[in-house]
Amino acid sequence: MSNIPVSAFLALALILFCIGLYGALTKRNTVIVLISIELMLNAVNINLVTFSKYGPAPSINGQVFALFAIAVAAAEAAVGLAILIALYRNRKTVNIDEMNQLKH
Amino acid sequence: MLSGEFIAFIALALAAIMGGVLLLNLTKVVHMVVAIVFTFVSIAGIYVLLSAEFLAAVQILIYSGAITIIMLFGIMLTKHNDESEAKGIGWRKVFMFLGVLAFGAAVYIGIYDLDFASEPSELHVKNTEQIGLALYSDYIIPFELTSVVLLVALVGAIILARKDDGGKGEDKK
Amino acid sequence: MEIAWLIPLFPLLSFLVLLLAGRRLKEASAAAGILLTLASLALSVYVLIERLSGPTFKAEAVWLTIGDLQLTAGFEVNQLNALMLVIVSLVSFLVHIYSKGYMHGDERFPVYYAYLGLFTFSMLGLVLSPNLLQTYIFWELVGLGSFLLIGFYFYKESAKHAAMKAFIMTRIGDVGLLIGMILLFWETGSFEYDEIFAAVRGGELSGTMITLTAILIFVGAVGKSGQFPLHTWLPDAMEGPTPVSALIHAATMVAAGVYLVAATFPLFAASEAAMMTVAIIGAFTAIFAASIGLVQTDIKRVLAYSTVSQLGYMMLALGSAGYVAGVFHLMTHAFFKALLFLAAGSVIHAVHTQDIEKMGGLWKKLRFTGPLFLIGTLAISGVPLFSGFFSKDEILIAAWEHGNTTLFWLAVIAAFFTAFYMFRLFFMVFMGEARSHHKAVHESPGSMVWPMAVLGILAIFAGYVNTPWFGTFLGDWLVEGNSALGHGHVEGPAWIMIVATSVSLAGILLAYLIYGKRAISRDGLITSVPLTYNVLKNKYYIDELYHYTFVYGAKAVSLFLRFIELFLVEGIMKTVAALVQTLGKTGSKIQSGQVQTYGAIAFAGLAVLMLIFALTGGYL
Repeated sequence: MSNIPVSAFLALALILFCIGLYGALTKRNTVIVLISIELMLNAVNINLVTFSKYGPAPSINGQVFALFAIAVAAAEAAVGLAILIALYRNRKTVNIDEMNQLKH
Repeated sequence: MLSGEFIAFIALALAAIMGGVLLLNLTKVVHMVVAIVFTFVSIAGIYVLLSAEFLAAVQILIYSGAITIIMLFGIMLTKHNDESEAKGIGWRKVFMFLGVLAFGAAVYIGIYDLDFASEPSELHVKNTEQIGLALYSDYIIPFELTSVVLLVALVGAIILARKDDGGKGEDKK
Repeated sequence: MEIAWLIPLFPLLSFLVLLLAGRRLKEASAAAGILLTLASLALSVYVLIERLSGPTFKAEAVWLTIGDLQLTAGFEVNQLNALMLVIVSLVSFLVHIYSKGYMHGDERFPVYYAYLGLFTFSMLGLVLSPNLLQTYIFWELVGLGSFLLIGFYFYKESAKHAAMKAFIMTRIGDVGLLIGMILLFWETGSFEYDEIFAAVRGGELSGTMITLTAILIFVGAVGKSGQFPLHTWLPDAMEGPTPVSALIHAATMVAAGVYLVAATFPLFAASEAAMMTVAIIGAFTAIFAASIGLVQTDIKRVLAYSTVSQLGYMMLALGSAGYVAGVFHLMTHAFFKALLFLAAGSVIHAVHTQDIEKMGGLWKKLRFTGPLFLIGTLAISGVPLFSGFFSKDEILIAAWEHGNTTLFWLAVIAAFFTAFYMFRLFFMVFMGEARSHHKAVHESPGSMVWPMAVLGILAIFAGYVNTPWFGTFLGDWLVEGNSALGHGHVEGPAWIMIVATSVSLAGILLAYLIYGKRAISRDGLITSVPLTYNVLKNKYYIDELYHYTFVYGAKAVSLFLRFIELFLVEGIMKTVAALVQTLGKTGSKIQSGQVQTYGAIAFAGLAVLMLIFALTGGYL
């Protein structure tokens, strides 16, 4: 039915995941770090949907999983931002370098 | 042979990757958020290619709409420095780049010739109905729990972000 | 005799009472001490009288049980112990009385009496001990008592040093005793004297082992009795109050070494080599210390060297198988030396100096002390009819009969020296003109004179219990029922007595010519043999020798060890510490609090794991 190999979708998901990961680990602005994490979640969702269609046992369950992941990601984004704002109010910065109260 | 489906995939995939690369390389925070919208929309297209129309719609609504908007709000509410990124190439960036590359390579070894001899699925037929049926039959308890999670997230976000009344908590640090 | 165990408890009671209530009792402490010691004395005399006719009494109780091993504690009343009990409690009692006058006005008066009580308790416990372990415990306790009393004037630097010196020097000997004791226990499985002697008689110990243990025990005796080469502490111990010198460093504690050798005499008797060692050390110490005594000018030091010399005599007697002679001399010496020390204390009390060069002409001023001192001097010099004459005679006969001709002549020369330096002391202190002016020299109070009078009587008559003329009662009694101790009296050639008497008289005559009549010039004598004089004056430089060898040696070793400590031990320790600190600081730096760094490191680990997994074909 399709001439697109399953590995192409997986490779796309891998690339997006890597980009998200790199961003999450190197960006200094906390908002961008949060967005990068969303990107990683999206890459995972692509995998879920791909396996839902081209996996060994195709079924709708993969899409339902992706749906739950999106719901949880939305909740995470909301709470993450709330934390960010609370932190900003106390420290007057969103630079992740300066949030180091956990230090020794 | 290039089928229309394949061309569409290539175009969407390129758009998604380009959005990600821009996210990494742009300097202004607002521009970064706009770049990520490209990626989110492209991913919605990918979902359509994968016979998940309902998910595509949800993707556009939640990510391109809601999440991007609250991220923009977050940027607006905090003082952000446009030139916030450190100049030059830090050791950590190089280290991370190599690490991510190694990780990517390792995973790629696992997936590059992956192919399941699967029978064609019927996902594209009444996709939304299928999801609805699955959600309200097999996944009814997780679905309801998700609503609790969202409620908790809502309440938690409000409490966290609320300004402390009274000056006591103001100068904690 | 069953109540003999009460004897040491009275002085212990005195010690405890004065320890607790001394501050309130003040000078009344003396009464408490004197009464309790009197009780001890009365009991001791009672026990001695009972022992004269009765058999040896021994009582023991199990003290410790360790596995199969049982250690006992108890007391034994044999002839030697009964005699020692009376000597110790009598001298202690007299010193208690004497001290009342001598220490009058001292602000630590009760403490002094408490120490005296502690010492008397230890010494009485020592002589009652039926086994080596108990002996050792009391042995150390008398050492402690001696230490406390020598250092009684601890605010005087010299007294402090003397106390420490006495403690350390005797401790060297104690190590020998301890090793000997442990070896004996190892070999025989018992600390009991009886069982050890039975093992020796039964041939359970090899000859070498007997010699070794006997000599090790003798090392302990050498330390305690101030024998050469551990004698240097005894003259320094004269820093203590004079009555203490009389009690501890003349009559009782220093005699403990002799007592120990006497108590373990069957062990010594089984080894010719050990006997020879004891005899040689004794004879050498006798003449060595006597020669030093010739030139000393401190009244107490002269007496101290005289003590060392007399203890050497006793050792010579024991080493020559003259058990009776040794114990006999121990008894007579206790009386006349205590008398001499108390008299010397009386002199010091009167003129407030110890330098005999500054005395002189005291005979008329000290009406009682002078004659009493003369009695002591005559006794120690071995003038006929005084106690020292008989006991010294016994020793000389024992040495001669044992075949030690050289040692015999050494002892004779030492007797000559003794007579000479004792009368030198007497003439310089009591005769001639006063060489410096003392204000208000007056006789000591009665509490000091009476004890001296008692001792004076004993110094004269104590010898008559064992004489070749009126019977050898003491000797026969001492060796009764124990053949290992030898004969009660050894018949010697009559000329020995004549020789001994003539050397004593010659010594007295010489002293009279030099110091009494001044027929021979002292200064001329000194200048004619300056080298000898200086060597003697400086006590053969033994103290200096020890100082330059042992003290400096120990200092050099400790310096060396200190460097090891500083650079090696501490160096290693500091390196390790620095290493750990650096490690900790580095680790703490990694804990930067930056979530991204943590994530990066965790992820790097994951990446490496994934890569290894992939490259080793994990997907297949």
